[in-house]
Amino acid sequence: MCGIVGLHLKNPELYPRLGELLASMLDCMTSRGPDSAGLALYGDDADHQPRMEIFKDVGLPREICERYGVAKRSGYQGIGHTRMATESAVTTEHSHPFAPAENMALVHNGSFSNHASVRRRLESDGIRFVTDNDSEVAARYIAHQVGHGADLGDALRMVLKEMDGFFTLLVTTATQFAVMRDSFACKPAVIAETTDYVAMASEYHALASLPGIGSATVFEPAPEEVYTWTR
Amino acid sequence: MTETLPSSLPLAESTPAPALPADARRRSHTFPPEVVAQIQRMADEGHYEIRGWGAKRHLPTFDDLVFLTASVSRYPLEGYREKCETKTVLGTRYASKPIELDIPITIAGMSFGALSASAKAALGRAASAVGTSTTTGDGGMTEEERAASKLLVYQCLPSRYGFNPKHLRMADAIEVVIGQGAKPGGGGMLLGQKVSQRVADMRTLPPGIDQRSASRHPDWVGPDDLRIKIEELREATGWEKPVYVKLGATRVANDVKLAVAAGADVVVVDGMQGGTGATQDVFIEHAGIPTLAAVRLAAEALREIDMADQVQLIVSGGIRNGADAAKALALGATAVSMGVGPLIALGCNSRTYLQDGVEHDATADYRALGTEPGYCHHMHTGMCPVGISTQDPRLEARLDPEWGTRRVINYLKSVTMELTTLARACGKSNVHNLEPEDLVALTIEAAAMAGVPLAGTNWVPGSSDCR
Repeated sequence: MCGIVGLHLKNPELYPRLGELLASMLDCMTSRGPDSAGLALYGDDADHQPRMEIFKDVGLPREICERYGVAKRSGYQGIGHTRMATESAVTTEHSHPFAPAENMALVHNGSFSNHASVRRRLESDGIRFVTDNDSEVAARYIAHQVGHGADLGDALRMVLKEMDGFFTLLVTTATQFAVMRDSFACKPAVIAETTDYVAMASEYHALASLPGIGSATVFEPAPEEVYTWTR
Repeated sequence: MTETLPSSLPLAESTPAPALPADARRRSHTFPPEVVAQIQRMADEGHYEIRGWGAKRHLPTFDDLVFLTASVSRYPLEGYREKCETKTVLGTRYASKPIELDIPITIAGMSFGALSASAKAALGRAASAVGTSTTTGDGGMTEEERAASKLLVYQCLPSRYGFNPKHLRMADAIEVVIGQGAKPGGGGMLLGQKVSQRVADMRTLPPGIDQRSASRHPDWVGPDDLRIKIEELREATGWEKPVYVKLGATRVANDVKLAVAAGADVVVVDGMQGGTGATQDVFIEHAGIPTLAAVRLAAEALREIDMADQVQLIVSGGIRNGADAAKALALGATAVSMGVGPLIALGCNSRTYLQDGVEHDATADYRALGTEPGYCHHMHTGMCPVGISTQDPRLEARLDPEWGTRRVINYLKSVTMELTTLARACGKSNVHNLEPEDLVALTIEAAAMAGVPLAGTNWVPGSSDCR
């Protein structure tokens, strides 16, 4: 269905390598999602303000990373997604990450089973959608909750209550990096943490080439548990 | 009464009857034998037919919809290991004590009078055992029913029969009945043979006399005055109990919005397949719209006024099994309500009844009513061969309340299991997460009524959107 990867750098010495490390991780997820791919990269701008940039397109992750020079980009965190479309079209708009609010990005692996109803409720609250993708519903739901004052962890816990189906979500804001899986935890996820970084991927081999992975704490995130790292 | 015309050519006794020509039994679509019989009966008796049950004609139903269950793009839940929530809360808008049900299936209002006291109590016990509510009916609340029902909805009807503040305070919710699917625009009816001394006392009426309840409530006409009535009911019960408003499905979109405007916590929409103890056949078959169309209109109306999250929708009228319940929920109902189904579980239309531990055949009694087990709609006569819709102590003794209760429990549990089976297959961990997008229709009529695509197409008749 899809592959997701993410990297949250704790050690600023690694910032120049963010794009290079993520591009390689994303490439490992090609077989999980050959339709389209995308990344959200977070860095500090000239005024030391956080800035998120999205690169997504139809095609293989390697082609897309080359097209946008991802490997040369630096930053402090990033997430990526490779998509095997299920119920909605293969277009750039339908590709992940979804960016429902300023500096917020979401990638999703799985399939929501009540997204049409949640979408209707959000639409009646005035939320506008760009695609008919189920992941966009989760992204806009989280952004809506955060916009109403919820912190990211609470917004994710509300997803567990409101949204049905199977999902592993990786959501980032300018300061946070959060992972959550549904109660079934069927969609794979693995997290590796060292003193230098937190990395997450759908499959371990996407993490295998990271520096210092041999001494990382590697674990499978538990169902219905929100894991958050803050810059 | 048919007249036999003399044959033009008298036949000799030994001559065998000539074979009928191939078109001799050509059935008239306009005047089939049952219509012929109805006309003959009207000519005999000089009045309309009164009967019980609900619509018997062919109608677009939930059977015309099917679920798009999970496969590769979506994933199903395991039936025996993964939970599918069925808890249902009704009355969250204003009531300080909303009704909390374990299953989204309730027992509809059926009166003591139409049913025997022990049948009412059996329904109450069964509902309590599975964690749901039951409902009184025209004529008031019996002690047996109150004692048997953990959650009892008390109806406030145009007749005012048996309606009093004492019972109002003893209820768990109040249902203001505007109309009934079997006879929207009509009042209740209880024929004299069912008006026993006890029934008569509860209704302050003489026994043995036909009773025709009002079709309009004396306290209000229209939504503006209904608002005052609902406020009065809330004040009398300290704003604790949910107030339902029950509508017979006709101008559903307008009526649902007006019920909400009048202050309803819960709107109950009863489609034309809904049952009754007695009314005119012409009403049952020719008034109101099918439940399938009603549920979609009601859900849409609540969404249009942005009240879908605050006001719950109960749908009734011909709900028989978990498939019907699942489809009603998918189309926007919070819960369904059943009347005829639980009665059948209790023994209605059964060939046999259990008395003193022995099974007896009731076929002869059905025949005496001019019907057979499986076809009986003679609740109005009070001569129920299995002792459910009667006030005759001799017949009432034919319902073994424990046996009946057990059967209704089995039925309600089975319906719930069917409902969760379909919900799990659609990938839902909560039955309330079923949605219209899980359904497609097998007929153009059902597609148009339910607002879902015709199977194999993305065409929703009457809609500019394609799915």
